[in-house]
Amino acid sequence: MAQAAISKVRAEKPRRTGEAWRAFWRTGDWWHHLLLVILLFFMFVPILMMLIISFKTVSQFDVDPFLPTFPLHPENYARAFNIVWRYIFNSFIVSGVSVIGMVVLATITAWAFARYPFPGRDILYYLILALLMIPGELTLVPSFLLVKALGLLNTRWVLILPYIAGGQVFAIFVLRSFFEGMPEELFEAARIDGASELMTFVRIAMPLASSIVGVVTIMHITSTWNDLVWPMITVNVKRLMTLTIGLYAFRNEMYTQWGSLMAGYTIASIPMIILFAFTSKLFVEGLASGALKM
Amino acid sequence: MTTASAEAPVAARTPKTETLFTRIMRYKHAYAMIATSFILLAIFNYYPAFMGLVRAFYNYDIGLEPEFIGLGNFIKLFTTDQTFIKSLGNVAIFTLWRTISAMIFPFLAAELIFGLTNPKHKFGYRLAMIVPIVVPGMVSILLWQFIYDGVNGLLNALLKAVGLVDWQRAWLGDPSVALGAVTLMGFPWVGGTNVLIYLAGLQGITNEIIDSAKIDGCTGFRRVWYIDIPLIRGQFKLIFVLSILGGLQGWGTIFVMTKGGPGTATMVPGMWLYNNAFQWNKMGYASAIGLFMFLVIMAITVINMKFIKSSDTN
Repeated sequence: MAQAAISKVRAEKPRRTGEAWRAFWRTGDWWHHLLLVILLFFMFVPILMMLIISFKTVSQFDVDPFLPTFPLHPENYARAFNIVWRYIFNSFIVSGVSVIGMVVLATITAWAFARYPFPGRDILYYLILALLMIPGELTLVPSFLLVKALGLLNTRWVLILPYIAGGQVFAIFVLRSFFEGMPEELFEAARIDGASELMTFVRIAMPLASSIVGVVTIMHITSTWNDLVWPMITVNVKRLMTLTIGLYAFRNEMYTQWGSLMAGYTIASIPMIILFAFTSKLFVEGLASGALKM
Repeated sequence: MTTASAEAPVAARTPKTETLFTRIMRYKHAYAMIATSFILLAIFNYYPAFMGLVRAFYNYDIGLEPEFIGLGNFIKLFTTDQTFIKSLGNVAIFTLWRTISAMIFPFLAAELIFGLTNPKHKFGYRLAMIVPIVVPGMVSILLWQFIYDGVNGLLNALLKAVGLVDWQRAWLGDPSVALGAVTLMGFPWVGGTNVLIYLAGLQGITNEIIDSAKIDGCTGFRRVWYIDIPLIRGQFKLIFVLSILGGLQGWGTIFVMTKGGPGTATMVPGMWLYNNAFQWNKMGYASAIGLFMFLVIMAITVINMKFIKSSDTN
């Protein structure tokens, strides 16, 4: 967030030579800036509110709930962290393991679909694509009964395995079209140089696909990180709760302790902000990519 | 040569199956490569989807034997289940607003950013638009719940500050406004993702088009109306479809904020499915709601695909 804030400040303050100012008025940019700043202010209201309250004690909140009060109380963060860290850790494990499994499976499967004209390929591929049309509501109850029968309730696997299975569908779809679009000459050349199939996959296809794999990875991480309903029905021990449902429990626990509550929310936001800071380009591509247009 | 041609009619059928078999054998590594994916999909996706279709026609309470009742669940849903019928109206309102707002406000924000002359400014605003999305969905829902809080909420504090004390209320606890509050959450409804999609569309319009429009005196709002909107039709369609599907399936928000309450004021089908399945163990009935939602979503997807195809060929 800091990075974003800095570049925002930078963006709003160009070098103000007289020329730049005149251009600013002449082009009519000023009213764009005015409206955008108002818009952004409203967008950031909940976040600002969270940050301000997170430094308040209960009595400070009672006196003045929404404006900053001094002294600040960073110990709210320590108290919240003691509870929230476990949920973040659990989400980290679940999203991390499932994204690795998902990417490995999806790239191999997508590669097979793209490169080998095996009998039944089209039917099997449409069978996968059909899953894109199946909403979670249809499968929610049977999936729950299934994992219950398998004895997976209240384990990490109850999240990880379905996330791998479900997450690969979209990834296979995206990666297959990417692999198919790669020029045959590339592989021809590698083969002439004596590269095996495995080598062409690992040394040529994968590096070229790294950015699309990155996009798929981030989309999967954000969707599993934010998943609410599935963990809500399959995990109810605090030790294993992921961040979304952990926060839900935390809210009930900390109700009226507004400072600590908001500090917890802030801490919960940090991992995604770090991910975004390091991968902003892929992140944006993932959010607004043409890949979304089916 | 002669023997081969003499044998050919006799063996006419076998070579074909043989080639299929040999082809399968030739590509056995490809099957091995996709096998793990399919095993997982079979267990966690195909089987539940299939069972979802089947169980919808059963009376199936956990602990009891499933009993086939044909369309019984569906008849009950549409005739006697007042809560379900009400939930359809609620989800329609919820989805309608989400779709309309996603078509208007993010587009206006994207136009404002697109209209800036300085590319650095454009970049800066684009980045700033993303930051709120990075905050986990759960956190923003919980923050909005707090904004609507009857005692300590920000909204009531603001109303008090401008002298509208009479308007203060527990926004999520008052049946007459709860649905409105849940629906209007997320003001100013700009939602960074959609802005990025519109912006990507606008940036795809070539300079030649914009320059020639300028020469013809088509600038400002006229350009937005006659050039931009028609040219980014694709983005509008995408967001239209995504918002409808998101609205129908977006009951997580309602789950956290109100659980469908107070009473049934904010009940939506997804929430009602959850209650039936996981509060009252009525798995068959819940599956019927799930199947109904699937059919609605499927219908929308199919209509949309036809729609996109027909307009792309034009």
